[in-house]
Amino acid sequence: MGGPRDSAVLEVLSSGMGITVQDGGRIGWRKFGVPMGGAMDDHAARAANVMVDNAPDMPVLELLMQGQRFKVRQDCWLAIAGADGSSTIPVWHAHKLSVGSELEFPVSRHGVWIYVAVAGGFDADEAFGSRSASIRSEIGSAIEAGKMLRRLEDRRLQMPDSISGRGASWNEHRDYAKPPVLRVWPGPQWNAFPETARETLFENEWSVTSQSDRVGYRLAGESIEAPRIDLISEPVRIGSIQVPANGQPIVTLRDGPTVGGYPKIGMVDPRDLSWLVQCRPNQAVRFRPYEPQ
Amino acid sequence: MQCIPYGPNAWLICFADEVGDLAFERGRAISRELEENSPGGLREYVLAYTSVLLIFGEPNVKHVQRPISQVIEQLEKILDRRVPSAEVKEIPVRYEGPDLARVAEHNGISESEAIEIHSATVYKVYMLGFAPGFPYLGELDSRLHTPRLESPRAKVPAGSVAIGGEHTGVYSVPNPGGWNLIGSTEVKLFDPGNEEGEFYLRAGDRVRFTKA
Repeated sequence: MGGPRDSAVLEVLSSGMGITVQDGGRIGWRKFGVPMGGAMDDHAARAANVMVDNAPDMPVLELLMQGQRFKVRQDCWLAIAGADGSSTIPVWHAHKLSVGSELEFPVSRHGVWIYVAVAGGFDADEAFGSRSASIRSEIGSAIEAGKMLRRLEDRRLQMPDSISGRGASWNEHRDYAKPPVLRVWPGPQWNAFPETARETLFENEWSVTSQSDRVGYRLAGESIEAPRIDLISEPVRIGSIQVPANGQPIVTLRDGPTVGGYPKIGMVDPRDLSWLVQCRPNQAVRFRPYEPQ
Repeated sequence: MQCIPYGPNAWLICFADEVGDLAFERGRAISRELEENSPGGLREYVLAYTSVLLIFGEPNVKHVQRPISQVIEQLEKILDRRVPSAEVKEIPVRYEGPDLARVAEHNGISESEAIEIHSATVYKVYMLGFAPGFPYLGELDSRLHTPRLESPRAKVPAGSVAIGGEHTGVYSVPNPGGWNLIGSTEVKLFDPGNEEGEFYLRAGDRVRFTKA
């Protein structure tokens, strides 16, 4: 018989559109070409952890859109935050679930990425100081049906028996259908772009395309005039707005390449990226220049 | 050196105007300085051909961040200090790739000439990127420059030695790719979990391909 840590919390019945484990990501490995990884929507992942009294960057399950089903293998508290997949536990809430019950996310209603947290965090193989899977880089793996999910630390949420739920504070809740205008810092080639290109970026609506994933989001809209420079490949930060020759911007994200040769007109403020990543295909976003407080 | 702000708490420092020996030596000097005398509060750095990205943590009580101008001064002092060369690393290659004939034909040379030329050069590892442990090498002999394939392969296996345009490299993880595959190696450029080192090559290394 194994200890409590060896007993599963959840059994995956269906992986739906996709499940990985994500935490705060890897720091210090980008110089080797290893992407940072980590939860796409760090705001929601942290909110889920906080509801079960975890440290904010503990490993959580990151679910894409819908279709996931789990069987509860032991009485436990689970928190849901981020996108709304019509689960039995409402988003931005934690609930006590009993062994034998099921947790499912049948239909995506809002947003893209759903986060599930358990007290003690979810276990997954560690690499480079993180448990985040970055599939394209062959780090970690996608979670498939049949997988037994265990706690990283043997810790339960201590709550009186009479309490069966708790919520995130109201100011943590987000309506992803109404993202704010996203703040953009100047990118390294900001001055190389013609003035009209910067106007195009800030004065138009951008539509998130279906060619969007953990590597990057491709946006569609009026073509941005790219500068006529031959850029030597240089480091790329997460959130960078790259403009290839076709003028349609690509925002580099958590599993994106660490270096690249496209000119970067700007960089989405890290605090606003959590809004961008929850935009569904065809949803519109707008940008504005970052202004120091 | 040119210092360009790049989002919150980060700067891109450009230390050379073009790819070449000067940029390579300066890159080695800079990464050594950043490893050995890391400026306070530096969270992470990423070295590329002619630039280095410095990302600092949020300023807080523990890390009083020095002004970036002082960091630049620190780097300018060591910029042209020569770091002794390490030994040349070797990558044994079986030159039996499916596109070896294409590379030879494109350049009007025989396959064995192509192999001789590819394995005669000592390459500089300018940077790692694109995928974990993937080296950007310089410089490929112009007699081997070959355009990328018209339609990329859906999956190129790790260990494939390839030529794309003016570049040569080794796929460190399986990836889609349009480079000409000229051979393969058993050396693992990216080996997660290997306690002796997950990366066979580092920026600043020199490397030679040998016939396996």
